Amino acid sequence: MKLIKDVLGNLNGVIQKNKFLAKFKPVLNAMDEFFFGTSRVTSLPYILDYIDIKRFMSFVVIALIPATLAAIYFWGLHILAMIIVSYAFGGMVEVAFAITRKKEIHEGFLVTGLIFPLILPPATPLWVVAVGVVFGVLFGKEVFGGTGRNIFNPAIVGRVFLTIAFPKIMTLNWPLPSIGVGADAITGATPLALFKSQSIVNSYSNLLFGFCSGSAGETFRIGLIAGGIFLILTRIIDWRIPLAALSTIFVFPHLSNHFFHTTFAPGLFQILSGGVLLGAFFMATDPVTAPFTKSGRWIGGIFLGVLTVLIRGLSGYVEGLVFSILLLNACTPLIDTLVLKVRYRRK
Amino acid sequence: MLKPFRTFKGGYRFKNYAGQPAPVLIEADIPKQVVVPLRQGFSSEVKATVKAGDAVFAGQIIGRDDESISSPVHSPVNGIVENIKRMNYFKRDINMVLIRTTNSSREITRLPGYASEWWKLSNEKIEELIYLSGVSSLDREGIPTRFKSSIVQPADVNHLIIHGVGSEPYNISLDLLLEGKNFLNFFEGIKILKRLMPNSKVHLALNARKPKLIEQFVKLTSQIEWLDIYPLEPKYPQGYDEILVPTILHQKFPYGYSAANIGIVVLNIQAVLGVYKAVAEGLPLIERIIAFCGPAMKENIHLKVRTGTLLGDLFYGKLKGERPPRVVLNSLLTGVLMNDFSLPIDRSFTQIIAIEENNKREFLSFMRPGLRRDSYTRTFLSKLFPNIKKIADTNQHGEERPCITCNFCEEICPVGIIPHLLSKYVKKGFIDETIMNYGIFNCIECGLCSFVCPSKIPLVKYMKAGHEKLIMQGCDQAQCILPYFNLKGLEEYRGVTKL
Ligand code: SF4
Ligand code: SF4
Repeated sequence: MKLIKDVLGNLNGVIQKNKFLAKFKPVLNAMDEFFFGTSRVTSLPYILDYIDIKRFMSFVVIALIPATLAAIYFWGLHILAMIIVSYAFGGMVEVAFAITRKKEIHEGFLVTGLIFPLILPPATPLWVVAVGVVFGVLFGKEVFGGTGRNIFNPAIVGRVFLTIAFPKIMTLNWPLPSIGVGADAITGATPLALFKSQSIVNSYSNLLFGFCSGSAGETFRIGLIAGGIFLILTRIIDWRIPLAALSTIFVFPHLSNHFFHTTFAPGLFQILSGGVLLGAFFMATDPVTAPFTKSGRWIGGIFLGVLTVLIRGLSGYVEGLVFSILLLNACTPLIDTLVLKVRYRRK
Repeated sequence: MLKPFRTFKGGYRFKNYAGQPAPVLIEADIPKQVVVPLRQGFSSEVKATVKAGDAVFAGQIIGRDDESISSPVHSPVNGIVENIKRMNYFKRDINMVLIRTTNSSREITRLPGYASEWWKLSNEKIEELIYLSGVSSLDREGIPTRFKSSIVQPADVNHLIIHGVGSEPYNISLDLLLEGKNFLNFFEGIKILKRLMPNSKVHLALNARKPKLIEQFVKLTSQIEWLDIYPLEPKYPQGYDEILVPTILHQKFPYGYSAANIGIVVLNIQAVLGVYKAVAEGLPLIERIIAFCGPAMKENIHLKVRTGTLLGDLFYGKLKGERPPRVVLNSLLTGVLMNDFSLPIDRSFTQIIAIEENNKREFLSFMRPGLRRDSYTRTFLSKLFPNIKKIADTNQHGEERPCITCNFCEEICPVGIIPHLLSKYVKKGFIDETIMNYGIFNCIECGLCSFVCPSKIPLVKYMKAGHEKLIMQGCDQAQCILPYFNLKGLEEYRGVTKL
């Protein structure tokens, strides 16, 4: 601890002398704050809650740990490399912007950097991860003015960009996990794709434990559910969006499956396949890009569910969640404004 | 009658802070000198009736003004008036009477005409005793009497709310206040008030975590149909008038105005006890029980002190640590800072809290599990072990960041407005009808939104700034309130500044 303090102190001295290096002050500040917290004291109110943004974000990361570990276990160290690349390149963009804007480095990136590789196919080449995360952070967040001002979830922006720019890589690379899959599973297509082409419904226990193909972080669903519940219990995320989205995704296809069972998969399968759990718990709930009003959260969740099911069933795309979240993000300001209009109607 | 438990939306329960005052009462020494502010509690400043060199006795009225809304002020000691001078007292210039004690006997000269069998006194006499004792200036709006001590007349009062909820992080001990014969005295005090305000219904709100006390009261009052007892959760800011009125009466509050404007008087337990003491024992209000709380106090006890005692005398040897801690009056969320120890205490003090000034930095603080930390989110282990004492200090616990719309502030806001939205409008300078429509005038400045914000945004400051700027632009709360309420005493209100 003393050592780190000394190193930081010395660096600070060096940085202050050199004009060029002085630009990197935000980096040093961020490190300093990371290790030692703040010495600032309150004014009024005289006491403040112990939570801060670092802790807030690190709790999301903690909730993602089971899914991350499972991904590394299923697909090997390549996943770890993807995560490192994502943090490194995304972090670089973040730092570059902090330096040019002469602002502090914000913590929002802690979550984006982890979620982004988790929503990619497990065999994505590292350079694609780098391109995606740079694009996502740049156009999903920094162009709007940084954390707190972004309209779109940066991870989603990066993912959508990759889907459109490199469709081949993003749709064909679905290796099966290295363990737990029986000999009968020969195809590498995702459960959703299997349903779309052959109306095969994968077994639910395989889906729950992740013995199927899919994006890196979305298959170990038990871990995702546990993480989501953990976040809800710690009040880091609001329960309304996941509940609304999941129940819509369950009920709505349940009805439609009744009539068109080759187009719409049954409800439970819809929930347990693709990135629904990851998306509903970890991405749609991103506080910055989700509606903040309570009724807005209900509306947003339902909207997300309906869109997901429709895209999955009726469009050419196999997975609809990512686009739905992007659309939801785009509609968020509208939803909030409408809710506020109704709530504060002049009587 | 015991009413079912009820509560309000939002708010926060400050649980188990280290350094709560023990239910022990110690009588402080008679001070060698006192400084008596001529404006104490709910009152305008009164005119001094003594001059330098006069000898005064403990309990003698040294300031009164029968023209304005006010209550008299007494000399708390036997002594000689040294000087009367204008001093800055909690951000206001007021006249102070400096008295040097000559005889430190504890004897207090009683008011004329009191009777322990108070029911034999006439209403006018009772009101006079309450007025002359100065008790009528206690609490937010004072106690109405025919002597202009509040903005309403006793007959206009429809509801009398008496509360001992204790929702602050640090509270004066309810058990101590109502100990022994004070319990019955308190009840007599309520009866006196009921007699003065015959048209009122009395509501007694008590801390729901004190079931024994509630039981005792229910037993005592089972025959009385004008009194209702409400067990309320000690959730901050339950003790505020603005929250008590809707919780208890299911009635809208005219935010920005006072409870008295809608014919409701809200009193604390000490005020009711003061009424009893004034009427049945003839004691002027020159003593006050004050709780000394907080981890930076050496002892957490209650002191019975004379008003006018200087803070420096009171604190001598009582504070921990080499660095001066932060000393706050009444509330850690809204209270006034007491950094000038040459100021005296007055009758509106309830608790004095000292917490450590913590600007030390902590290694990897955000990763620590935090057994002794308090948080609205449940991200600290302390939520799992609620019985472990929590530490309050003044560190900011994090850096300022942009708002991430986590909505904590809206969820916790007791009046149901959206602090982060309003603060964004204020920050950008969009001060117009929109924010008025969004209810900025409803803000009671309780401080909870700033407390919970993980981005450490000073939301209350923005709320206050927005409020002030709106008024400067000629919009004020009258537009939101007056059309919907029939307010009393608005005329009288002018001139008395708010506490
Ligand atoms: S608590 Fe702070 S960060 Fe959260 S919504 Fe309110 S202002 Fe924004
Ligand atoms: S907005 Fe006002 S009333 Fe609401 S929590 Fe903040 S200070 Fe309290």
